[in-house]
Amino acid sequence: MTIQEQYKTRVRELLSSGTVKMVIGYKAGTTADRRRPLFIRTPEEADQLLLDSACIANLSGYLIAEGLLSDEKRVGIFLKPDGIRTINILAAEAQLNIEQIIVLGFDITGQEVTALQGETAGDFSALIESIKEGAPEALKNPLIDQLEQLNPKERFAYWQAEFSRCIKCYACRQACPMCYCRRCIVDCNQPQWVNTSSHTLGNFEWNIVRAFHLSGRCVGCGNCDRACPVNIPLRLINARMAQEVLGSFDHLAGMSDTQEPVLASFKKDDSETFIL
Amino acid sequence: MSEPFEPKIIAFVCTYCTYAGADLAGTSRLKYAPNVRIIRLPCTGRISPMFILKALQKGADGVLVSGCHPGDCHFTHGNYHARRRWTVFRALLEFTGIPLDRVKFSWISAAEGAKFAEFMNSVTEDIRKLGPFDQYKELIKETEAPATL
Repeated sequence: MTIQEQYKTRVRELLSSGTVKMVIGYKAGTTADRRRPLFIRTPEEADQLLLDSACIANLSGYLIAEGLLSDEKRVGIFLKPDGIRTINILAAEAQLNIEQIIVLGFDITGQEVTALQGETAGDFSALIESIKEGAPEALKNPLIDQLEQLNPKERFAYWQAEFSRCIKCYACRQACPMCYCRRCIVDCNQPQWVNTSSHTLGNFEWNIVRAFHLSGRCVGCGNCDRACPVNIPLRLINARMAQEVLGSFDHLAGMSDTQEPVLASFKKDDSETFIL
Repeated sequence: MSEPFEPKIIAFVCTYCTYAGADLAGTSRLKYAPNVRIIRLPCTGRISPMFILKALQKGADGVLVSGCHPGDCHFTHGNYHARRRWTVFRALLEFTGIPLDRVKFSWISAAEGAKFAEFMNSVTEDIRKLGPFDQYKELIKETEAPATL
């Protein structure tokens, strides 16, 4: 039995036994290599379920849709390890109750999809811990190193060219499971922090602000990268921030549902070499 | 003859330490560079990175941020939180190519009037050497024209 069939059976079981009120998974998209989110409420709807190496989107953002979890019923969701980290962060930030989430874990290596054993986010803690051990390597990116070799002026020019394409569609914000503020800073106009026209300055500020807000929270799922219609390498800047937070504060986001957010906590002996 | 370049510097300071330090510099009749515009805030923990970006957006050539020494915060740990935030924000500025010489951080207590005056002078001197923040000013100029689509 393929992993897809195994999970279809499991989803039918979960729904028919009433353990969950809904399962969030993947179905066929508009082209052969795209997948769409599927919201399964009855066992019959599970027939549409797909699970293959194209199922790369992080679905956890749908969990915090307004009212979904407020009836305290459980919801099942297909998650890769980065998705499991995401719901850990959301739980740590009090956006959801992790006990309401049944995780249908899977991982993709190349073209192969493997099942992850476990039912709740806590069951995957060993796996998540191993991610932290491998993080310094995993976060390495040749383009980051290349950019760091440049002088500030050249780096500024690089980002200016990238951000000049931004059309402020805020697709990155919509796609990001971490961007759940009811009133985003760019939607506030008293004061107007960021220029809303698509001038490079405002684009620059918007992308800096978003990267800052994701520092120590981004798991690098790549939803923003894929959502960007003008292909700005958003994941690059977030990965650099994750490196910084890991290096300076030994913090990798989403280790557990009780992990303190890195910018909402401190140590008295944090490094301060830059402060005069 | 064109006038020599005078940098515009914005200082975000906490009211309990650095602002009091500035006060002491004043009452001690210490002279320091008039290029620094001080903005007083309740605590360094209140200083959002947005403030720094906003100052640059409005044409500042340099930004200073200053507050109580660790352990001296009026609110017990506002400056510890601020310190973490700055570490991350500085890395972000560096990665996006905003020169770190233009955004400076310091701890200045209420008793350090002399340090305050000296710090303002040295930063003004540094930024005067760097010259106006042309890269950013070009972006600002662009916003004054209608957006090209």
